[in-house]
Amino acid sequence: MSRDASLTMFDHGQPSYAEVNKDVLSVMLETGPRYWMLLGGTMSVAAIFFFMPWIYQLFVGVGAAGMNRSAVWGTYLSNFIFWIGLSHSGTLLSAVLHITNSQWRKSIYRSAEAMTLFSLMTAVLFVMVHLGRVWYVHWSFPIPNQMGLWPNFRSPLMFDVMAITTYLIASSIFIYMGSVPDFAAVRDASTGLRRRLYTIFSFGWRGTAREWHTLGWAYTFFAVFVIPLAVSVHSIVSWDFALSVVPGLHHTIFAPYFVCGAIFSGTAGIVTVMYCLRKFLNFERYIGQEHLDNLGKLLILLSMIWSYINILELFGSWYGGTSFELEALKFKLTGFYAPLYWEMILFCAFVPLLMFSRKIRLSWNKMLVVSILINIGMLTERFIIVATSQPRKFLPDAFGFYFPSWIEISITVGSFAIFATLFLIFIKCVPAISIYEVKETLKPLRRNA
Amino acid sequence: MAIVGTFACEEDFLAAAENLKSSGFDTISLLSPVPVQEAQDVLGLGKSPVRHFSLAGAIIGAFFGFGMCVVTALTFILPTGGRAIITVPPYLIITYEMTILMGVIFTLIGFHVVSELPAWRNRPYLPCANIDRFVVVVENAADSEAARAETIIREAGAVEIQHVEDSE
Repeated sequence: MSRDASLTMFDHGQPSYAEVNKDVLSVMLETGPRYWMLLGGTMSVAAIFFFMPWIYQLFVGVGAAGMNRSAVWGTYLSNFIFWIGLSHSGTLLSAVLHITNSQWRKSIYRSAEAMTLFSLMTAVLFVMVHLGRVWYVHWSFPIPNQMGLWPNFRSPLMFDVMAITTYLIASSIFIYMGSVPDFAAVRDASTGLRRRLYTIFSFGWRGTAREWHTLGWAYTFFAVFVIPLAVSVHSIVSWDFALSVVPGLHHTIFAPYFVCGAIFSGTAGIVTVMYCLRKFLNFERYIGQEHLDNLGKLLILLSMIWSYINILELFGSWYGGTSFELEALKFKLTGFYAPLYWEMILFCAFVPLLMFSRKIRLSWNKMLVVSILINIGMLTERFIIVATSQPRKFLPDAFGFYFPSWIEISITVGSFAIFATLFLIFIKCVPAISIYEVKETLKPLRRNA
Repeated sequence: MAIVGTFACEEDFLAAAENLKSSGFDTISLLSPVPVQEAQDVLGLGKSPVRHFSLAGAIIGAFFGFGMCVVTALTFILPTGGRAIITVPPYLIITYEMTILMGVIFTLIGFHVVSELPAWRNRPYLPCANIDRFVVVVENAADSEAARAETIIREAGAVEIQHVEDSE
């Protein structure tokens, strides 16, 4: 990506090293009433919209959701794919940009990685909700149980369990290790219990040459491991669908389609998160127009790849010519959910083209709107994949219809509150911007600098 | 006793480190707010042994992943349409994931082993080294050597020199 020399990572001039510490740590260490109100609000929404309907469903059974005989997968799984997708850009983008030594990554990657982690946690919650009898979840892990039952690793659902567990652990380690020097900065700036806690979290980090050297090597290896992992995770999620023989799902293009869509929605999610960091945490100084410009260009590229794969998917179904594939295609393009399909095309294929305009690409408010529209489109895409395929498979006498119940809609709304709650807790526990990596982008402390 | 010299700029810090090293001081620590490649070069830190941990973890993970699939399949036999009980293609996906998982976990272990962290004992440290100062620490210096180290650090341009008792 070529660099526009007129843009800068620091919109209001370069801060000093000490100012970086002060600005980033003050967000963590100084908490006003507005924060507590916001946290209380998101927690309440999560409790009312997510957990209470879930508890109700646990009592009355999974039939409380809109799933039925022909549509055994519903909104829970489409949300699961959406949240897994949203998790993709954070760690993946961070790892790719680390390997390629991109400087603009350094002030945005910590929050992007946090987005990965919390999206994954939200996604895992949807699996729990979908399971119905969630107390049997341990049956899917290769651990001994009273029935002598062992999982069948031939199933794509087991691929999923292993891939997502690996991704969750690897992403957690990746964000934690990158934060260790900053935990030491928190330790040095705090007192009492917080100081004791961060002494433990920072492992006694002093910033010696040996520690930096080892962290640099380890971090690079983490990045190298995480890149193929991230690609594999969404490929495997796609195989949950593509390895079935259901018309509309049985496509070889699904793995790259899902990976591309995941990075696309994740990158749009990063733009939304960056907007919030600038607006509400006063990080205007650290997240500048260069970040926005680069993310905008990346979104255009991803949108075009996504559109191309969509055309391929339609072409494959049409060119195959089998009656059941054509029926699934017809239902998707002209059936009950067709308005949602065309909304998805509008938001994910056409709206991103607006970013060809530099004026739009460099406007935070306009980019916020574009990024939210893209993610609405991507949420719709996941819903369409689930809702238009299973209820229309093969023989007309097996056709059914799926429409989400109020419980599914409520839980979907609540999941956003869970994500927001986790993120709000994160910004008070971990420096939201990497202190030491931002310093690396500043002028070095040299006499002639 | 440890001699702790604080520097405001990188050149002076590196000059002190180089002079101390060439004068035979081996127990020096170089603290900085950001990674400084030259400081690592002064200490002769080449390729990190962390990479051996990563490789070992990946290999162990691959064997463990494939082995886990085979053992579970043989423990709980599920004949499906006359297919083989041990089916290699799907097991390769689990193998792939376990390769990465173990690689990451072993890299983490490698980081802790090589960097000697966590370190709970009280070691010479100045919080300014995590903000905007560079710090050279000469540890376990005898009285005669301490004076020599202090001279080297002062001549290099230290803004402050402190004597700190080593503690385990």
